[in-house]
Amino acid sequence: MKFRYLLLTFLSVLCACNGTDNENEEEHFQDTGKGVFILNEGNYNSGNSTLSYYYPGEKRVENGIFLRSNDRKLGDTGQSMTLYNNTLFIAMENSGIVWGIDAETFRVKGQLTAAQTEHMINPRFVHIVNEGKAYVSDLYSPYITIFNPTTFRSLGSIHTGQPSANGYSSTENMVQHGNHVFTNCWSYSNKILAIDTRTDEVTDSIVLGSWQPKSMIVDARGKLWVLTDGGYHTGDESFGDNVPHLYRIDAATLEIEQDQALDTDEAGVQIAASPDKSVIYIVNNDIYRMGITDEHLPVRPFISAPTDSNGRRHKLYAIGVNPHNGEIYVADAVDYAQSGTVYRYSAQGELIDRFRTGINPNGFAFK
Amino acid sequence: MRKSGLILLCLIPCLAWSQKETSLQGVQVSAKRRLSDTGLQKTSLDSTQLHDNIALSMADILTRNSTLFIKNYGRATESTAEFRGTSPSHTQVTWNGMRINSPMLGTVDFSTLPAYFIDQATLYHGASSMHLTGGGLGGAVELRTLAPTDGGSSLQYIQGIGSYHTYDQFLRFSHSTPKWSSSTRIVYSTSKNNFSYVNHDKKVDIRDEAGNIIDSYHPTERNQSGYFTDIHALQDIFHNDHKGNRMGLSVWYAHHKRGLPFLSVDYKDDTDFTNEQNQNTLRSVLSWEHTAQQWKTALRGGYIYQDVAYHYSTTRQNVHTVITQSQSYTHNGYLQAEADYIPHENWMLSAKAEAYYNKVRSYDRSPFHQSENYDKGRMEYHGSLQARWRPFAPFSLAAVIREEAYGHKWVPIMPAIFADYVLYAPWKLVAKASVARNYRYPSMNDLYFKPGGNPGLEPEKGFTYDAGIEWEISRKRFQLRGNASAFDSYIKDWILWTPNTKGYWQPSNVKEVHNYGVETTLEAGLKIRKHTQASLTANYAFTPSINKGEQSGGNDASYGKQLCYVPRHSANLSARVQWKSWALQYKWVHYSERFTTTSNEVSYITGRLKPYFMSDITLEKTFRLRHLDVSVKGVVNNLFDTDYVTVLSRPMAGRNFEVFIQLKPKWEKKRKEY
Repeated sequence: MKFRYLLLTFLSVLCACNGTDNENEEEHFQDTGKGVFILNEGNYNSGNSTLSYYYPGEKRVENGIFLRSNDRKLGDTGQSMTLYNNTLFIAMENSGIVWGIDAETFRVKGQLTAAQTEHMINPRFVHIVNEGKAYVSDLYSPYITIFNPTTFRSLGSIHTGQPSANGYSSTENMVQHGNHVFTNCWSYSNKILAIDTRTDEVTDSIVLGSWQPKSMIVDARGKLWVLTDGGYHTGDESFGDNVPHLYRIDAATLEIEQDQALDTDEAGVQIAASPDKSVIYIVNNDIYRMGITDEHLPVRPFISAPTDSNGRRHKLYAIGVNPHNGEIYVADAVDYAQSGTVYRYSAQGELIDRFRTGINPNGFAFK
Repeated sequence: MRKSGLILLCLIPCLAWSQKETSLQGVQVSAKRRLSDTGLQKTSLDSTQLHDNIALSMADILTRNSTLFIKNYGRATESTAEFRGTSPSHTQVTWNGMRINSPMLGTVDFSTLPAYFIDQATLYHGASSMHLTGGGLGGAVELRTLAPTDGGSSLQYIQGIGSYHTYDQFLRFSHSTPKWSSSTRIVYSTSKNNFSYVNHDKKVDIRDEAGNIIDSYHPTERNQSGYFTDIHALQDIFHNDHKGNRMGLSVWYAHHKRGLPFLSVDYKDDTDFTNEQNQNTLRSVLSWEHTAQQWKTALRGGYIYQDVAYHYSTTRQNVHTVITQSQSYTHNGYLQAEADYIPHENWMLSAKAEAYYNKVRSYDRSPFHQSENYDKGRMEYHGSLQARWRPFAPFSLAAVIREEAYGHKWVPIMPAIFADYVLYAPWKLVAKASVARNYRYPSMNDLYFKPGGNPGLEPEKGFTYDAGIEWEISRKRFQLRGNASAFDSYIKDWILWTPNTKGYWQPSNVKEVHNYGVETTLEAGLKIRKHTQASLTANYAFTPSINKGEQSGGNDASYGKQLCYVPRHSANLSARVQWKSWALQYKWVHYSERFTTTSNEVSYITGRLKPYFMSDITLEKTFRLRHLDVSVKGVVNNLFDTDYVTVLSRPMAGRNFEVFIQLKPKWEKKRKEY
């Protein structure tokens, strides 16, 4: 009998220890100011992507605001953000969802999930064509998904018309010039596709000499600037020549006007434009600045990557330029498994602030 | 000379040794301290612990009965062992003498090893693993199958039926003659494993007609794509000519078909996707051992074949998209020769030489990969010399020198020294200490995988100090056995895979890690009355595992922090009360918080996994009929329905049940002892 009592007492104590608290209060935010969203990619298959919000005037950052506002996780592998009409669209690649949140309260307004659509698998970028139509590019699907950015209803899809081999199915960035949206096929590809927004069809394509176009913008003169990563080289394995290239392409004629090779390194490459789109900024180890009429990137960087006490450069992971004042935001992924750091520079390249965000900050959206 | 021979017989043949031991729920009492155990920190798990129920894999057994931390996210998911806070590839595993770590990954998935297929498991902690193999910077696990102990024929069938459409079947047929014995084991397990859980990572909004959110709730979802089918068949054949020669052949075939569960933050529909791994494994070991007066020699050879196919695709609107279609084929051949020589009762000398040939072909046929991952072969050579010496009665010394080579590269010499001293013989109170330098060379994926493999990787270097005590007190009705040890280990050039800016992962020798802490085990057995006995086993480990590597930049806050997913505190307890034909067992496991970032940040919810306590309970009743023993066992897992995760965004099952019925016909047996 004693054993029975002992056992019951022991189990009772253990039972009391097992309470778990998974409920979180939903915090209420309200900011109408010109804040900056920072998307933290997190680690693949960990579901630890987060969203940060930076108050430039106060030099203050709030991390994890999506979870704190909505009592749910943002998801796995946050890929990109697009801000349109006070709604922030966030493409969560490996979760198969595109969130739409209110840019002032950070509360969810709606979402488009893979299960709701015909072909969406891993959404990469969102491009708003107009109030009633938006495109979602995809890492794996040979379709670009069309949805209504107001109602979040799926409207169909665009077949990329590319063979399902050699990675041509992959679509990435989307930029618009006139009635055409250009999207780059990054994964094991060298193509830029042109989509006619009136017919929602791929109408043309551009083949580049360098592999894996990674990042694109359209400048003030209607020129398409494309940055490739050149593939990779590791051990005795190569894909492409591992030399990043910068292309200038006429968006109207699709003619390649300029092609310049950049320094080869294990560098992340990303491109951004100044507010008037007359200057482009490139991350390629350091930050380079170039006028859109210049023939070459300058030899010396505009901003050198921060270095540690041993002289090693930090790993720059993303760049964004504030369209309101030209301030430059640069993200350092550190070791890819801890909070990243964001550097804020003036348009003249002077450091204004630095702050810690979530894991792998990879993009900025400016209100 | 006769004395030496007796010592040798006592020292070496594990089969004979284990059969001579008495066992009361894992409390083992050996007659004499063996010279071969000099300075060793080891944990032995016997069949009582291993053959608890057929639903358990070695991952479950190690979680509940040792100080190892098993990282997994539910049944039939990849389960790797972290020994003393090291990485899974720092745990070396042998099966019947042959190393079974994957040559591709360097790790072992313990979820693929059903515990009913293992008859004896020994855990060698830290430096002690040097007796078995090199590369065990955390330790080593030695798994063995043994010859049946019953004479004549015996049959055992177990049927398990559990929650989530889980069915476990086990069949064993054994037959022994004076010289030959054979054991055939088959396991067949299937489950939908589609448990429901409240998904705290998602929330469903309820909106009014205007689209305003008027309410929201965390949905109850089912574990998607968690199904599995595991089939195992193991054949052991042993021959003993009773003139000192033993031969053994073990052949183990396993097939695993496993859905890979979706994350709790996945918004795809699993009915649209196939996310599945299929794996076939054939392991075989042939051994011959000869024991003479002062010598024991052994020859072993083995072969492992494994193919692993991972398929991730979707078919919607008649469009089939293949995302990943990877396949790997591994062939692993093995030869081993070893000899032990006892020139004097206080001396023992050993030598061992091993050669492995690993052939790996790995590729991915999906559109998002180019060419083969790699197609390589690699020879690996291991050699060791060991000497054990007892200069005077309570004191023993042992030394090990190992040398290993992989491909055309040689690893520096690995030395280890062990000592122990019997402090108080009646309690078998022994103080032990050891120091070792150890190396682990890179796996084939580390070197060759495309993209990312780094042929320039150096072996990881480890330096380990151990000190501890063990004791064993036996009384008429009471047995108490335990050990406590402290360790201090430094691992340099730790190989770590990190993502790079090109979108793939690459390994490099980046980390230096300082592991230290204590491990302690307590085992107690009590005979309360004639038909009533109780036993208790408890383990506790304190394992700080601190990053001391170079900072990767001025913003790196990982220096001096605990490694990701390594708990600082882990504990487990198993209590069993047996009354006549009834048995009640309670198991309890605890892990402290685990960090998910290298900087150990807890400012956001995904930065840490909460500590948890896990309880399981088992009630068993055996009916001894005239021609048949029938036992019925009911198991409640996660007794208190704890809501927990062991890996980020991986839901775990709540309270669940399984009932096992075991049938053992009583056939006429020869009474002769073999």
